[in-house]
Amino acid sequence: MEGKMVRIQSYELKVDVKDEEKDDTFDPLRASRGSIVVPSKNSEDAPYASKSDISSSYVQPLGKEWTTFKKFLVQKFPPSKTVAVSSAADLVVRSHKAYEKSNTHLDELDDPLGSAVEDVKFISQQEYTARLSEMKNEILCTWAAGDHFKSLKLSVARLLRDTALLQFYPTLFTLATDILDMLGDMVWQRIKQKAEFSEDGSQNHALPEDFQVSDVCSDAKETCHNWFCKIGSIRDLLPRIYLELAILPCWRFLLDDTTDVIQRLLAMMRGLGNPLASAYCHLYMVYCVQKLPLCQKGYLVTCIKDINRMMLPLVSSKETTEGRNNENYQVLVHLMEPPMWYIMKCLFKDHQELPPEAVRSNTLHILDLIACGIGSSFDQCMNFRLLGFRLYETDAPVEIVNVVLERVMQDVIEYQDLDNFLKVIDGYVDVVLQNQMKVQLEGLLERIAERACNKWIKDSELESLQSVFIKILSHTKCLEDIIELNFFAEIIDVMRGASKNAINMRILQIATRSGCIRCPTTIQFLFEVCQGLHNAKGSSDMLDSDYQPLERLCSCFVHMVDFGTEWERHLAFLIECRATFASADEIKETLVHHANCLVMKALKDSKQLVSFGKSCLAFSEATIPSVATPVKQLYLYLETAEVALTSSLVSHSDGLIDSTISSLQNFVAQDSVTPLDVDRIICIIQKLCSLLIMVPGNPMRGVTFIPKSLLSLVNSHSLQKTARLRVRILCANIIMLAALSQHKLPYSPCGTKEVPGNDLLHFDDLYYHEELASICGHILPDFVHAVKEEASPIARGSLALEACNCIVSALQVWS
Amino acid sequence: MVLVLAIGDLHIPHRAPDLPAKFKSMLVPGKIQHVICTGNLCIKEVHDYLKTICPDLHITRGEYDEDARYPETKTLTIGQFKLGLCHGHQVIPWGDLDSLAMLQRQLDVDILVTGHTHQFTAYKHEGGVVINPGSATGAYSSITYDVNPSFVLMDIDGLRVVVYVYELIDGEVKVDKIDFKKTTAPQSPH
Amino acid sequence: MSELEIKLSRSNRIYRPDEPLQGKIITKFSSSVSHYGVRLSVNGSVNLQVRGGSAGVIESVVGVLKPITIVKRSVEIRPSGKISSGTTEIPFSLILKQPGERKSGKFYETFHGEDISIQYLLTVEVARGYLHKSLSATLEFIIESEKAEHLELPISPELVFFYITQDTQKHPLLSELKSGGFRVSGRIPTQCSLSCALRGELTVEASALPIQSIDIHLLRVESILVGDRIASETSLIQTTQIADGDISRGLTLPIYVLLPRLLTCPSVLAGPFSIEFKVSIVINFQSELSKLHPKSDPRTPRLWLAMETLPLELVRTR
Repeated sequence: MEGKMVRIQSYELKVDVKDEEKDDTFDPLRASRGSIVVPSKNSEDAPYASKSDISSSYVQPLGKEWTTFKKFLVQKFPPSKTVAVSSAADLVVRSHKAYEKSNTHLDELDDPLGSAVEDVKFISQQEYTARLSEMKNEILCTWAAGDHFKSLKLSVARLLRDTALLQFYPTLFTLATDILDMLGDMVWQRIKQKAEFSEDGSQNHALPEDFQVSDVCSDAKETCHNWFCKIGSIRDLLPRIYLELAILPCWRFLLDDTTDVIQRLLAMMRGLGNPLASAYCHLYMVYCVQKLPLCQKGYLVTCIKDINRMMLPLVSSKETTEGRNNENYQVLVHLMEPPMWYIMKCLFKDHQELPPEAVRSNTLHILDLIACGIGSSFDQCMNFRLLGFRLYETDAPVEIVNVVLERVMQDVIEYQDLDNFLKVIDGYVDVVLQNQMKVQLEGLLERIAERACNKWIKDSELESLQSVFIKILSHTKCLEDIIELNFFAEIIDVMRGASKNAINMRILQIATRSGCIRCPTTIQFLFEVCQGLHNAKGSSDMLDSDYQPLERLCSCFVHMVDFGTEWERHLAFLIECRATFASADEIKETLVHHANCLVMKALKDSKQLVSFGKSCLAFSEATIPSVATPVKQLYLYLETAEVALTSSLVSHSDGLIDSTISSLQNFVAQDSVTPLDVDRIICIIQKLCSLLIMVPGNPMRGVTFIPKSLLSLVNSHSLQKTARLRVRILCANIIMLAALSQHKLPYSPCGTKEVPGNDLLHFDDLYYHEELASICGHILPDFVHAVKEEASPIARGSLALEACNCIVSALQVWS
Repeated sequence: MVLVLAIGDLHIPHRAPDLPAKFKSMLVPGKIQHVICTGNLCIKEVHDYLKTICPDLHITRGEYDEDARYPETKTLTIGQFKLGLCHGHQVIPWGDLDSLAMLQRQLDVDILVTGHTHQFTAYKHEGGVVINPGSATGAYSSITYDVNPSFVLMDIDGLRVVVYVYELIDGEVKVDKIDFKKTTAPQSPH
Repeated sequence: MSELEIKLSRSNRIYRPDEPLQGKIITKFSSSVSHYGVRLSVNGSVNLQVRGGSAGVIESVVGVLKPITIVKRSVEIRPSGKISSGTTEIPFSLILKQPGERKSGKFYETFHGEDISIQYLLTVEVARGYLHKSLSATLEFIIESEKAEHLELPISPELVFFYITQDTQKHPLLSELKSGGFRVSGRIPTQCSLSCALRGELTVEASALPIQSIDIHLLRVESILVGDRIASETSLIQTTQIADGDISRGLTLPIYVLLPRLLTCPSVLAGPFSIEFKVSIVINFQSELSKLHPKSDPRTPRLWLAMETLPLELVRTR
């Protein structure tokens, strides 16, 4: 064995960015970005990634957005494993051979029976998907073979009539429209080629991006017209609409203005009786229309109206029709959401009610207009409020904000009703905060306080208050700013219920976001906030599910509190917390961890704080038993024992190790010990064994008292069942005993001599060594027992090997 | 050249509120290809944070880890090197070089990374290396309250590995560098 | 690749009678061919055929009637001589309708129906004397009526109102339909340009039964004068569904039917024959019964169907 490696180089570095260049030859982490790291694993991907970057610049944003939307659709409605296929989808189930037979007339692809035959088959979803991609290939093949119209025959658009698939429908929609898009692109390319190239293949002229109908030669128009005629001859309404939508951009070859086409298609869709099919058809239309240049948005409103009309009878007949499958109904409504969402999104894209410029330059006129209606209607406060929102959105300059605010306040001051008053204020909070107008903010708060304190606040008013305060908080970076704010705390005091909890939670979130909390006032304030939240537990305002994040936040707060070197004061704070949050398990756990931390910090700071260490340990010892979860108790006992030992408080550490073992006993005695629990037990005992090497044997109880109690735990009835656990623990014990029997122990607490190790206490003590040897003698037969218990031969072998390994390495030490 | 971050014994939030800010500013995403963590994180949020540094994250279980589903040991091969990972509380007495060497042989690895002692160490041993990155937060250990935050970065390049040790001493980050070459001779069978 | 081929100047092969029919004859010979002249002939005719069914027994025996010739002309493009090996192109230009010529019949538009077909063929023939078989190739071209005969646009949008209720039906209906009633109204043109779509509208005002489907059938009526009787045959050209499922009441649906090429032509009322069109609106109500007859002809009146058939004049417009 070689010794510890020699440190070859040693440099002192600053984290300052300026030093980067100088150091980048040597320190990979602070090397200038990208210059050093060429990951070998990803190196193959790297050129590929850059390639796709280039190509992605050609991809239209619409296509990207659509792909994302389709992904979202499939994820939102993951299809079940099997799909019930009605005859409408026979196309998928039947072999394509059957189709070859059909004659040249396109309308033969329309099965006039429709869904008349309700012959339901089940095929797996993968199979369905596979068939569809097969069809996609087939279309590509027939197209490549020059049979362009035949590709229509294999059209998948008919499948979209099968709305009974429900949950699978969005997946089907994405697969089918994928194929339709491909077909649409091919047709577009073909006609464009006709328009740009003459028959012998030479290019006549390239069509400009914004070409007009007059730029297109009659031959290309003829081909284009033929496509619309072929599609027009399809009998069924839904596939006919879908196919026309797929080649919708081709209308540009025939018409300069496609508004009428869109209107007609929209009107045709009213003939779709099925709400689901109709909604998704509208969705596809909205997507396709975006491929046309400069389209008006009016049609989107019609889309929404039409879908709405389809939904109405669904919603109203819900209660009346007993036979309606309720679950299906809900799925259906759920399925209708994405199309609506997409259409709304398109509608509001680049949409604004009033251009910000207009608002900014006309603010005062608008204000006059609103003021004219004083006292006349309830809407006035809403108008004031709206104006505030607009000011915020338009980044109005401070001077204007000031003038407006003053004017509005003059009018609003008359409002005695808190509710209306708050509605107006709510509109201005953001803009005031944005411009950091602290005086004005306090003014607003004062007015609120005048109206809110000393009266019963209505629920609706609470909501408005909550909205105002959440806004204030979301602009806050530093908690102190808020606490200093006049009237802030007063108003929070008069709030209650869910609104108050929401505000308190937000305050805690802000407080725990940034480092330590040192200011005593802040600590006191936050402590009260936590107290308020804690007291709300169990009341009707708070659900159980709300409570866990709350405990997390409170624990976080406790962790962040820092009294510097005022150790006693810090402990007093922990004790206060313990008294206040007696029923909160996670907080108590945090308190113990924190007390332990405190001991170690105080010890590091000054080594003379024995009595303080004792107080902290006493606090922990008193708190741990009240923690409800047995595993957590175990962890806490173990950690506290470590701390006690490090701070040389042997009597405490003895007690804590005893507690650890007895709580281990309780844990083991549980009815159901899971494999994870077994792992935990092994972990803790292994840790304990390496800890015990430092623990001086207590002559009162016998120097090997603790190892013995550990071994008796191993042999306890409930542990008999897991051979692995027993072997592991026995191994740990053997090695520990071997280590103890050395003339010099490998480590001691803090490297000090304050806690004399067994090597010193029992130096040359024959009796001690005999005792160790005798325990070992007892362990060996236990090994054999434990290994034999394992039923599986492979596991038995590996356990035996592990035991031998351990014994052999122990022998090495003895020799 | 592949950068591997070895880090462990964070004990967040029980013994330290967070990683030192100076470490955090150095551990930015995109620089490191693998993260190996010896354990004792102790809560899930730390796991999530490490994942942001690099998604290729390997963790073994420490005795205080709430998520007991991490494996006890883990091995991975990076370039020409085989790395082994273990928290180290299982090694009795802890930090014992013979026991660590045995673990290295058992796992059949070139580099063994363990933690638990909260002290940075690096040993050369029978053609292999045993590294302990220390505690990244400077959390107290079972034997001492005086721990400097530290972690290790390994730069693996062909048969050579350079071990950088980052240690926070009195508010300054100190970097040490240790070079290690793997012997090309085939390993003797065990 | 055949040795002889006709290629017309227009890829859609549509010509008007007063336009020159232009194109080229392409020969691809492996060795030079001597011939006695290259002739191009145009042959346009109305072919009539009476099938069994609506016509009487005697007529069905008679079967194919003598075709009516519209145009028959032959022109020599090249006098006798030699065509060299390799590819040779011989351009041609033919005037179909000689100005001032009154003898030839009216140039009806190309049409392919069940009983009546109006067809124009262009044939090239390379005569090669007695020892060799002459070479020939034939190509159909399409005639659209000449511009002078077109109607002025816009044709009057003469829309007729229609109402379909349980009382307008001459066939028996399901009892629920008869008692519960229904009312479908709408407007549809009686005249339509071939280059435009047939556009109308339809509203389901009320219906006792849910609707399965509403279809627009385009029908053609081919009539042939046989002796002193008229043999008439109605056939279905195209079906266009405009409602699929139970649609909202009171909502106006568009009727939008694209007229299929070749299968339609301007309505013709000639002496020996006539070609006319009809449009039929068929409402299919949801019923268990209909599932038992999946393959029935949509024109057959059934208990669950309601229909209205209206004449439709197709015209060629400018």
